[in-house]
Amino acid sequence: MESYEVAIIGGGSAGLAALKQLSNLGKQAILIEAGKKAGTKNVSGGILYSKKPKRGRAYNVEDVYGSVFLSDAPIERRITQYMLHATSGNKVFTMDLTAAHEYQANFGYSVLLGKLNSWFAKQAGESAEKQGGGIVSGVHVRSVSWQDGKTVIETDELEPFEAKAVIAADGVNSEIAEMTGARNKFTPEQLYQGVKVIVKMPEEIIEERFGIGQEDGAAHLYAGDVTLNHIGGGFLYTNRDTLSVGAVYHYDSLMQRPAEPYTLVNALLKNPMVAEFVKDEVAVKEEIDRNLPKEEQLRVRFAVSKLVKTWNELRDAYHSPSARKRLVEGGKYKSEEEIKARLDSVRSELEGKYRTKFVTDYVELEYAAKLVPDGKRCAMRKPYYKNILFIGDAAGRGVFIGPRIEGLNVGIDDAVRAANAVARAIDRNDFSSNSMGEHYSQMIEESPFTRDMKEIDKDYLKIFLDAAKDVPKDIIGQRYGMVFKLMSSGTLRGLAVGFANILGYDRLLPLVESEDTYVQVPIELAEKMGRPVAATYEPTLPTIAQRVAQLKYDDDRISHIKVLDHESEFMKKMVKLCPTNCYSMEDGEITLQHEACIECGTCAKETEWRHPRGEKGVNYQYG
Amino acid sequence: MSAKYEHLYVVIEHEDGKPVPVSLEMLGEARRLMNGFNKKYSANEKVVALVLGNNMRRLCEELIFYGADAVIYVDSPEFQYSRNLVDTKVISQVATNRELAKKFSDASNFIKPRYMFFAADNIGRQLSSTVLADLESGLASDINKLVIEDLEIKHEHKTKGQAVKYEKTLEMYRPDFSGFLWTTILCLDNRNPAIEREYHPQACSIIPGVFLPIERDTSRRGVITDYIPKFDERDLRVKVLDRKIVKSAVDFDSCKAIVSFGRGIKDSSEQNIKMVADLAQALEAEVGVSLPISKKPFAVSEGVSSTYMIPDRVIGTSGRKVAPLLYIAAGISGAMQHIAGMKESGFVVAINPDENSPIKDECDIFIKGRMEDVIPLLLEELRKQKPAIEVKK
Amino acid sequence: MSDLKIAVIVKLEPDFSEGNVSYNADGTLNRAETKSILGPHSAVASSAAFYAKVKYGARIAVTTMGPPIADTALQQAQLLCDADELHLYSDRMFAGADTLATAEVLKTGISKVEGGKMDIVFSGHRASDGETGQTGPQTAWKLGFTFLGNVIDYNVDMQNRVVRARRMISLQGFYDVIEEVEAPLPVFIAIDPSYKASFNTVSQRLAFEKYQKEAKERAQNYKQYLKIFNAQQLGVDPKLVGLPGSPTIVYKVERIPKAKASRKAEVVDGSSRDQIAKVAAKMYEVLGGMVIK
Repeated sequence: MESYEVAIIGGGSAGLAALKQLSNLGKQAILIEAGKKAGTKNVSGGILYSKKPKRGRAYNVEDVYGSVFLSDAPIERRITQYMLHATSGNKVFTMDLTAAHEYQANFGYSVLLGKLNSWFAKQAGESAEKQGGGIVSGVHVRSVSWQDGKTVIETDELEPFEAKAVIAADGVNSEIAEMTGARNKFTPEQLYQGVKVIVKMPEEIIEERFGIGQEDGAAHLYAGDVTLNHIGGGFLYTNRDTLSVGAVYHYDSLMQRPAEPYTLVNALLKNPMVAEFVKDEVAVKEEIDRNLPKEEQLRVRFAVSKLVKTWNELRDAYHSPSARKRLVEGGKYKSEEEIKARLDSVRSELEGKYRTKFVTDYVELEYAAKLVPDGKRCAMRKPYYKNILFIGDAAGRGVFIGPRIEGLNVGIDDAVRAANAVARAIDRNDFSSNSMGEHYSQMIEESPFTRDMKEIDKDYLKIFLDAAKDVPKDIIGQRYGMVFKLMSSGTLRGLAVGFANILGYDRLLPLVESEDTYVQVPIELAEKMGRPVAATYEPTLPTIAQRVAQLKYDDDRISHIKVLDHESEFMKKMVKLCPTNCYSMEDGEITLQHEACIECGTCAKETEWRHPRGEKGVNYQYG
Repeated sequence: MSAKYEHLYVVIEHEDGKPVPVSLEMLGEARRLMNGFNKKYSANEKVVALVLGNNMRRLCEELIFYGADAVIYVDSPEFQYSRNLVDTKVISQVATNRELAKKFSDASNFIKPRYMFFAADNIGRQLSSTVLADLESGLASDINKLVIEDLEIKHEHKTKGQAVKYEKTLEMYRPDFSGFLWTTILCLDNRNPAIEREYHPQACSIIPGVFLPIERDTSRRGVITDYIPKFDERDLRVKVLDRKIVKSAVDFDSCKAIVSFGRGIKDSSEQNIKMVADLAQALEAEVGVSLPISKKPFAVSEGVSSTYMIPDRVIGTSGRKVAPLLYIAAGISGAMQHIAGMKESGFVVAINPDENSPIKDECDIFIKGRMEDVIPLLLEELRKQKPAIEVKK
Repeated sequence: MSDLKIAVIVKLEPDFSEGNVSYNADGTLNRAETKSILGPHSAVASSAAFYAKVKYGARIAVTTMGPPIADTALQQAQLLCDADELHLYSDRMFAGADTLATAEVLKTGISKVEGGKMDIVFSGHRASDGETGQTGPQTAWKLGFTFLGNVIDYNVDMQNRVVRARRMISLQGFYDVIEEVEAPLPVFIAIDPSYKASFNTVSQRLAFEKYQKEAKERAQNYKQYLKIFNAQQLGVDPKLVGLPGSPTIVYKVERIPKAKASRKAEVVDGSSRDQIAKVAAKMYEVLGGMVIK
């Protein structure tokens, strides 16, 4: 049997950081990733932070990957505006939360996780190779077991192998956690469901639209009627030449009033302010005359497709300084004017010869969904089992405080702590839970993020309250009167937060994370103080079937999900809550069509849920 | 008087003691062509079936009933399974053996067959290629129409630009990859003095399911000639170690009904395919597709695409030939290639908005309408009427 | 144990995907407007060759016959198989060749590479622009190599210099067969589109990743590995290549005519529930075997 020092299971940003850190420490490690390549299974809302907490230290992405991260990594835009919008109908009330966004932060970049993780994988893989390790993708771990003092890992694809230590980074639906019994499956109260679409938009149009510089980015958050009465909110982040538009809702709230996840994204996209943000110029093909001979129909179809593709590519390039430069320097065009001239000629050919119309609408590139663990409610207290250390989502660790949502950086911080603990264990040749596991657990306790999952940070709260200082007291007072009074004054706040922290987050949460906070108060704010915003067009929202059709899958004919009870109340709700409509009700029984599954795990609680076999399942292009 | 190049040799494929369907189809077409040839040119030339096998004499007799004038039968345990290397060498030996040809004809000048047919399936395509490489002549693949004609050819290389008459030339028609065009391929001797060279046999591989076998006629008589092959020991080092039969994922043979769909799904492909699948389920039918669908021209979810838009389901010349009791063609215009695959069906219903589409000439009931409008109605009626039928039973 | 010597035959083909392909008004492919890429079957063949390189160690030469721009196909293939050499056989004299004349060029070329001592030659299943899978077997035959077609996976017994391969054979109208065959080297393998590499240990997979990275670097400087041969350099017999060496010609191209009517259809209004009800009844009748037509 082949034997390796460390096996990391899962090649998301946490697992990859663990691999990189172990390699930095000169240790051999292999990383097993089920997706075709690292990054194909990962989705994030879209912001990666680097933090500098006042107390304790955070291990950040640039600590792991070095300065090359900022100079070379495919990060999208540095977020310099962070706005919260309360919506009601066509009215919007806006608060500037940039200070909260910048709180204890070195930076926050919008990212597309598919691209970014594949860069992480390149860096980590190269370092790992030097230590005799590396990344093995397209392999799904089936089991971890202990035989004769050896830890044996079995996969669906390869011969079993041995590892002395295991780092489980297999995400919110961790199979390793479940099969070892290290933790229970998360429950709806502990989770948020996030759904996101990537919207195409040329680079310079983004800058003009959002009033940002070439390197800057904007983040917009939404609460109010766009939530359709659910606890949570919408977001819109600018990337280099795309936008991430999504909705994150408390799973428990969705269970109470089931709504199709895409309707929540649609509600956001229909909001006039968001609609105006995403709008672009779109080519609409003319229906082909069916009276033409078949081969002529085919020829026209292919000709139009080709021209539209050229127009899109050229237009994107024309609106991107770097691409423009490349085209001219590459000799394909003599000047920028020539690009423009070609762009115009393609357009007029489409309009004249093929009656293609150019309209105002928006273009979606990818639909995605993921569960987000709310660390306050579900972080593993001791994130280890035997010689397995759990990190990131797999350990239920994420910071989720009002508009502050951090997961990627928490996972990276965990990864460094786990890697350090494993390296220490290798040096001492002691992988026992008492030594390695406990040591890791202590290091996790020291993490500032662990503190954020347990206590209210009064300084953060102050920034938040300052931002809301223009909000009339009567709107807030009505609901949070006492709390608000306490929190508003500096001295009282210190006392109140101290008292609240004694009470514990779990007792306070229902007070704050409520419909009032996310729905009623914002609606009232918008109605009383909001400015009217009008949309100049009505966005054409794709159906869920169209969204699914756009995704790339390598379908596994064997379903990775088994429904345990075809009549349970929970499963009945999945008919609505599955983001890709995999469940349907037939004759009172729930049936599953797994082919469209995007592996979010929304249905995992009452199903036998596995990740698909290696290379199988969804293949995200953006993430 | 005997010619250098004579007869039409048909290389027979068989499996499990039975000829694969295309073998009989090739014999049928060979018979029809040579009947014409015998009348027009010479009665001396024959349809010769060539069989490599082990204990297959019964099959040889059958081949005569299905149109062969003569069968050359090569029996050896080495032919239990087809192996390209050994098979090619033996076929070449047989095809160039004058003594064998003399068993059923004058053949005093015989060098090689005039024409040669192979099956255009996995085995035949490869076998035809290697045999023709060995015989150093031309090959046209995937043919679905054949004509023998005297042609006047003017070709830069073949005839040095002069008009030259080529007698008894086999015109081999091949459907183009687009499905709209037909390319005629000829295998011609170089009559240009600078590059003079003779190319025989004129050979092709024939698409399964295109031609009809002739009616089995037990009164037909023919010569069965045995041939004992010469093996090169080294060639026998290629061994078949194991053979597993995998049932095709799509079973057209054992179902009574087939529902096929084509480009007509395009307006909402995902939903329409699901609707077709529902219809198939209601009728306990298998789902078929027209060739363009297997090229995945429409974006649908991967699950639907990998279940339905696959070559396994293609019905037509480049796919399967089917003959269920009931055939429903939904949104299929009825390209010739598709018709060839389903025309033997018992009862054909077409659903199509365009009354001018060729499928109208190939169906018993033509429902004029878009499938998205018709199928739900049809499904409703089928479900409504179903219990009544069961009661009757 | 010395490395295997491998050649891969690839082909530059039009990109038939929607958005890239373009047709003329007469239904023929508009080659000028359609970009060419490494054919999908050639790509699978290249990946299959790479498998041997990772697993057994191999020296790979990728070859193609085509116009000078066909070197892009070689580059794309190098990216997939980390080829050590790229050979382009390019000469006006080769134009218009049918499969037999093409096979002659490829045979001559491959015999020249490594002094003709190849262990395995790979090709794709077929080309997507008309060639129907003849070139592979014909080249194999001219080389005197055992031809194994429709191979879905393979392994080499280096000790005994024997290939074991699984082939997927589909017999139209019959069942499909998966056949396991054994053949002594040298062999010519035509790879089936459903080919899948069968790495089975972590270390093989790590090696695969490592070589793949090398391949990427090499393919960036592919011209360094590229050699172009014309007819004279190859030493082919001009009578056996190009148009003069092709037994077959394309005599004519025509539209496929409409088939004549063989059934008389009753036309039914798709929006009439009554009529559809009758059709449904007819369907059950047909299936019940009570009446056929």
